This record gives sequence, C-alpha cells and structure tokens, in this order.
Amino acid sequence: MSPSILEELMTGARRLWSHIPADRAFLLRDADLLVGIARARVVLRGATLGARVYVGGPLKVVADGEITVGELTCFFGGMIASELICHPGARVAIGRSSELNYGVSVEARQAITIGASCKLGSMVRIADWSPVASGPVVIEDEVWLAHGVVIEPGVTIGRGSVVSAGSVVTSSIPPDSLAIGNPARALRLDLLAKTTSR
Amino acid sequence: MIALGARLRRAATRWKLRRCAEVGEGVRVLGRVWIHGGGTIRVGDRVLLDGSVSPIELHAGAGAEIVLGADVRVDGGASLEAARSIAIGERAHLGCFCKILDNHFHRVSSRDQRPVSEPVIVEEDVDLGARAILLPGARVGRATVVGPGTVLARRVPAEALVAGLPATVKRR
Repeated sequence: MSPSILEELMTGARRLWSHIPADRAFLLRDADLLVGIARARVVLRGATLGARVYVGGPLKVVADGEITVGELTCFFGGMIASELICHPGARVAIGRSSELNYGVSVEARQAITIGASCKLGSMVRIADWSPVASGPVVIEDEVWLAHGVVIEPGVTIGRGSVVSAGSVVTSSIPPDSLAIGNPARALRLDLLAKTTSR
Repeated sequence: MIALGARLRRAATRWKLRRCAEVGEGVRVLGRVWIHGGGTIRVGDRVLLDGSVSPIELHAGAGAEIVLGADVRVDGGASLEAARSIAIGERAHLGCFCKILDNHFHRVSSRDQRPVSEPVIVEEDVDLGARAILLPGARVGRATVVGPGTVLARRVPAEALVAGLPATVKRR
C-alpha cells in the first residue's frame, strides 16, 4: 500500500467520523459502556457479578476458586492486560464501585479482599502468596493504590489510605495514612493535609 | 526491492503516528504505540519508539502537550501521560515500563477531583531506568542517570546519579 492510499483511507475514515455530530458523541460512549458490560459477563463468567460491572479492555481471568465482584466496579483497558487469578479453593472479593486500571495483577491462593470504592492504579500487583511468605490480603474501603504498587502477602491496608506510586508494602498500613517507599512506611494523612495542598 | 521495503516502513510509521501533530525525519516505530487523548504530541527527528516488548503509551489530554526531542529513545511499556506538559530533551533514553505523569489524577482528600498539573521536564542526555516513575513537578537535569525503579517528584541536578525510593542523589 502506498502512502497516498493510506492517506485516502484516513480522510475517508475522518469523513465517516464527522457524520457523528458532537452532540451525539454520548452514543459512542454509551455503546462503549454497553460493550464493556457485555464483555464483563463473558470474561468473568466463572465469577459472581453485581450489576453493571464494566470491563474496558483485555482481562485474563482464572476462576478456579470463588470470585465475587460488586456492582459498578470497573476494569479499565489499556496497553497491558489485567489479570485476576483465583487458584482452586481460594477467594477473591472486590467490593462495589471500585476502579482498577490497566495491567493490574491480582493472584490468590488463599484470600484477597478488595473493599468498596477503591482505586487501583496501573500495574499494581497484589498476591497472597510468594516463595517466602503467605497470608490473606485485605484492602479496606476507599483505598487508593497508585501506579506500580506491590502488596506483599499478609498485608492489610486500612480504610481510606493512600499508597504512593512504586511503593512495596511489606507490613500492614493503618487507616487514613499515606504509605511511601520500599519497604513502605506510613504517615498520617490528616497531619500531611496541613502541610501540603494535595 | 529495498526502496519498496523502506517506503512501506515509512508508511507504517506514518500510520502508527497519525495522531501526532508533528513527526520529524527518520522516526522509527517498532511494535505498537498507543496514542490517545485530544492533546498535541510532537515527535522530533530520529526518535526511536521501540514497542516490540510491550506497547508504548502516549497520552496527551485535551490542551496538553508531549514533546519528544531529537534522537530520543523510548523502550517498550513506557507510558507518558500529560494533562498539561511533558518535555523530553534530546538524546534522552526512557527505559522499559517507566511512567511519566504530570498530574496525580485524584486528590488525596477528595478522590474524584483532579489536582493542578505540574509540568515534567527531562533534560538532554538523561537516562531514565526501567520502571522508574516521574511524578508531577519532576525535573531531571542534563545527563543525569535515574536508576531503575526510582520514584521522583522534585528537581534533581545535572550530571548526577539518582536512585532509590524515596529518591536520593547518590553521586554528582
């Protein structure tokens, strides 16, 4: 194909696109939402799903154990596939209205609990088993795990806490704190709020 | 035959970078590049986007700008997300799975609000290690080496070695 043919195809595609008026753009968005909800029913077919669970991109699911996903929870799509692996006899529970970005990896051999209204950034890794440790992982409600966070086995993240990008959490984090570093140390969020505008 | 191959490769590159506002001479793209958002992306001369390991993400939100200077090399899995401005200087190297953000996207106190963006600047000849993360407000001085897995949210001087989490200057 010569570049000129490519350009022709591109202008053709642009012309088609321009037929959808701006005030009808929500139709495309709604269509994406419907496709995502339908995709969730297919890829998470071994799991117990709440209403309107959305899967926006590639998601690898191994549902040999028991997976429950609460209503309105979103798995966003992106450049790297997410994975949700539940080995036989294990349990993964994700609460309602949580948001999981692309490249998230959750692997359970015992139990992993993710609360309601949590935000998991891209490339977050949560496992309840490693060659040197094991133990159930609990992420309580309204926790925000930023990009690239690793949660080690046996860790509990308290309600409303934030774990900053790239941190490795090896011990439990109390509620309403900010965890930073490798290994992660916790600071209290309310003290922090007085010194920074974020 | 060779001329045809080169032309096809150029056409493929042009197709892959069709959403960029400016693409320089001799730009090469291997594998997949995922370009999205309504902003402006400028790619300088001889830039290499090597997405053969894993796709590269370039996301400039509406009104935002990403500038890749001449001779920049970007490895697979690298992800640049701009809500206002990210600038990468000439000859810089961005390692595998590194992430550059100029916005946290959620406020710590009220998670559904978006905080103000702070531009990220990577100066000339910087080497950003694999899995390094540059957060809003990061500014890496000329020819500084950022170690693998470093998380950085502040200014660091030129010609230094920066590593660790939280990041510290190891050598100047």
